[in-house]
Amino acid sequence: MVLRIAQHEARLLIADRTLIAVSLVLVAIVAYGVANGASWVAFQQSTRDGIAAEEQERYRQLRERLGSPGSGTGVPADQVGTSLGARYAALPSGPLAAFVIGQSDLYPSYVKVSTEGRQSFAAADEIENPVHLLTGRFDLGFVIITLYPLIILALSYNLLSNEKEQGTLVLLLSQPLRLRTLVAGKVLTRAIAVVGLAIVVSIGSIALSGQDAAEGDFTSRLALWLAIVVSYGAFWFALAVAINALGRSSATNAVALAGTWLLLVAVVPALVNVLVRATYPVPSRVELVQAIRNASNEAQTEGTRLKARYFEDHPELVGAEADYSEFAIQSLATQNAIERSIAETLDHFENQLRRQQTLVDRLRFLSPAIAAFEALQDAAGTGSARYRHFMSQVESFHAQWRAYFHPLILRAQPIQADELERIPTFTYEEEPISQVTERVTIGLIGLVIPAAALAAISVPLLRRFTVVS
Amino acid sequence: MIVRIARKELTEQLRDGRFRASAAIIAVLLIGATAVGWRSWRDVSEEHTRAQAEAREHFECQEEKNPHAAAHYGLYLFKPKLPLAFVDPGIDPYTGVSVYLEAHQRNDLQHRPARDATALQRFGELTAAAVLQFLMPLLIVVLTFPSIAAEREQGTLRQVLSLGVQPGQLVAGKALGLAVSLGLIAVPAVAIGVYLLIQSGPDAEKTWPHALAMATGYLVYLGIFLLLSLTVSARARSSRAALITLLAFWIVNTMIAPRLATDLSRRWLPTPSSLEFHAAIDRDIRQGIDGHDPADERLRRLEEDLLTQYDVDFVEDLPVNFQGIALQASEEYGNAVFDRHHDTLWERFWLQNALRKGLGFVLPTLAIRELSMGLAGTDTSQYHEFSEAAETHRRIIVRTLNKDLEINGADLGFMYQAGPELWESMPLFRYEMPEIGSVLFRQAFACLALIFWLALSIELLNRSARSLRAD
Repeated sequence: MVLRIAQHEARLLIADRTLIAVSLVLVAIVAYGVANGASWVAFQQSTRDGIAAEEQERYRQLRERLGSPGSGTGVPADQVGTSLGARYAALPSGPLAAFVIGQSDLYPSYVKVSTEGRQSFAAADEIENPVHLLTGRFDLGFVIITLYPLIILALSYNLLSNEKEQGTLVLLLSQPLRLRTLVAGKVLTRAIAVVGLAIVVSIGSIALSGQDAAEGDFTSRLALWLAIVVSYGAFWFALAVAINALGRSSATNAVALAGTWLLLVAVVPALVNVLVRATYPVPSRVELVQAIRNASNEAQTEGTRLKARYFEDHPELVGAEADYSEFAIQSLATQNAIERSIAETLDHFENQLRRQQTLVDRLRFLSPAIAAFEALQDAAGTGSARYRHFMSQVESFHAQWRAYFHPLILRAQPIQADELERIPTFTYEEEPISQVTERVTIGLIGLVIPAAALAAISVPLLRRFTVVS
Repeated sequence: MIVRIARKELTEQLRDGRFRASAAIIAVLLIGATAVGWRSWRDVSEEHTRAQAEAREHFECQEEKNPHAAAHYGLYLFKPKLPLAFVDPGIDPYTGVSVYLEAHQRNDLQHRPARDATALQRFGELTAAAVLQFLMPLLIVVLTFPSIAAEREQGTLRQVLSLGVQPGQLVAGKALGLAVSLGLIAVPAVAIGVYLLIQSGPDAEKTWPHALAMATGYLVYLGIFLLLSLTVSARARSSRAALITLLAFWIVNTMIAPRLATDLSRRWLPTPSSLEFHAAIDRDIRQGIDGHDPADERLRRLEEDLLTQYDVDFVEDLPVNFQGIALQASEEYGNAVFDRHHDTLWERFWLQNALRKGLGFVLPTLAIRELSMGLAGTDTSQYHEFSEAAETHRRIIVRTLNKDLEINGADLGFMYQAGPELWESMPLFRYEMPEIGSVLFRQAFACLALIFWLALSIELLNRSARSLRAD
């Protein structure tokens, strides 16, 4: 029966031209969103190619310099460690990055690692017109979170109210047909049209954009993505049914649904944001700038004493030769002192941000839009979780880097040609898919439960639905 | 007659539960956003002032050293927060808060506050400006769509017109009544805003014209929405059709247009990557602009010229310090390179912005957004102005220090040391908010777009009133 209703409904919608118009809009925005995301991924790729080329060129020059007959003494280790041999740690775009630009326009996709302190990681920002960052991009993530519900609501705000207003509902229900079945049939038609189109067009566009499907966890991530799109759509359909089941006029339904949409997609996230910030305020970077300055002033005035203490701490590092590079050692000691005194401030930043994220994770259940937004970013690999995963690897690479260079600097041992191969390199380890799945699943629960609850409310409401006003 | 209709409309609105509920929500959000915005404005602003003084103190308290070493030690500047930023923080979270001034380098502003926040901020922040730009128009749409269309559906429109009421009077009266009822929502927030602005310290006095212009801008913007909503309500087949049309207009304006404009401008006028940008600067400084005149060549020529000028054979015999001159010369070459590249980048940004502003003629929300940020001092042009002012300050400091090395360090070379009197003699950095005239001039496009839309919507409503059908 449901199928027969759906068939008739489809015929009606097509005759009405609404469905065609709405579908065309949907296809256009989904395809445009993916195309936009794909061009962003291409930009990131070309940037990564650029840094790789730059690094290679530097190493080529180093090799050339060390290979030339005049360089028997090698190049001082501190020069290699801080600038000449500094290596980039790059975060590859995730397999589904073209779907959601997410936070990836804000976080740089690479970090230059050298013997400098980790506070230098925060310095690298991609150049961008700030208005673009403020506005956000027209990517598939935006389409799904914001516009896709509107399309669903535009097709279903008058699901029952229209039939009632036209008087056709009485006629329909005079047939051996239950109201529930009718609603199910109507929703089914629309759901197949909207959700189906969204999915087909997004997959089609990503295929056209030349993404490598064999790469990494492409299929598992795509499955997660589809699950989110379906559940998020289900929530909005359930909402439309519940509002319709209240039996008000089409205009009232439209206002109520538009209001709920605005509340869930814009107002609640903004309020949660205010709450999260007030609960765990992140200290200002101005403070950090000042702290670093103070620490380095102090370290400089205590220069010699610091160096002496540094050597006390690391007796194994004192070189046999006396003519080690004064300056390099001094600056290492200073750097060490600065880092010790700002470590707490830096940790405070990270801890507060982590606490904020935990709170957001809890509060996302207040709005399916937040839950879906976070889940989409996780599935696409452009959210903050993957970035944090990357940054923790950068930190350990940084530690490895220093472990390699510091002894050389302190022993005043220059770098020779054969040692260039031994300088550590960075390889990004992708987040295990099980972790991603776990996070996304919790988000999915935040979509499925409200949808089910709305459906559960609708059933008794539909039973009491008055067909004639 | 108009007043009587307005009064009826107002009474009707005030009695309507939906109006009261939504008005209360919007008013609370507006007040809340203003208060939250002001608190964070005050904290940040105090912090920046404090940090600025401390940074200056650091610079002045340097021990005796070579002036060039002092130029390397450098100075931090912190972007000041202008008083109206609490209404509209604009691009502030997405631009750096501080810039490090040092010899040889033009640094970018660092530490975007947006990086220290969760992804939630990308939904948009709760600010007074956001409430006025997005939520108020929606409230207007929702409250206004049935005003004429529903009267037509209920048959009361025919009755009213049969009484001899002119359609023009009817429409004007409705517009007035709705405007007053909507104005009531904004009154408490405006009062609080004015109070907070008075509390905002000495700079606030200069911002009154900006505040007034901003209020006028929002009034015009919201007026446009009111007039358009009435027009659609007068013309639509049914109140449902009016609602759908208006909601679509609102969505396109507030949700789709800003992002679309951003993407199109980035697509047609791509922003260079940070890597390309800085690599090009380094290359030009090292090898000379366009590969002509590499750095060592420039230095050799400078040396020759000086030896000829002072008619001596060796650098040591010069009556001035050669290092000071060489440093300043390389500084000036670097400045020319920085100017060249930064100007190119900013031209790109301006074109991107112009494209967006041009779209303001099609969609009023884009226009008010630009105008509001401009008046709050949180738009791109003031960001640019600050970074230019900082760069100018950097050049003054570095030049003064090099000059001191050149004149006073003649026979000492790099051994020359200067003391705190030199550090203290550096000019103070001051950044002033641009005058209202220049802000409006820069936002002329946005102002014109709003005036155009106001005229258009008045004309449209006028026509709809003249051809008002009773059924």
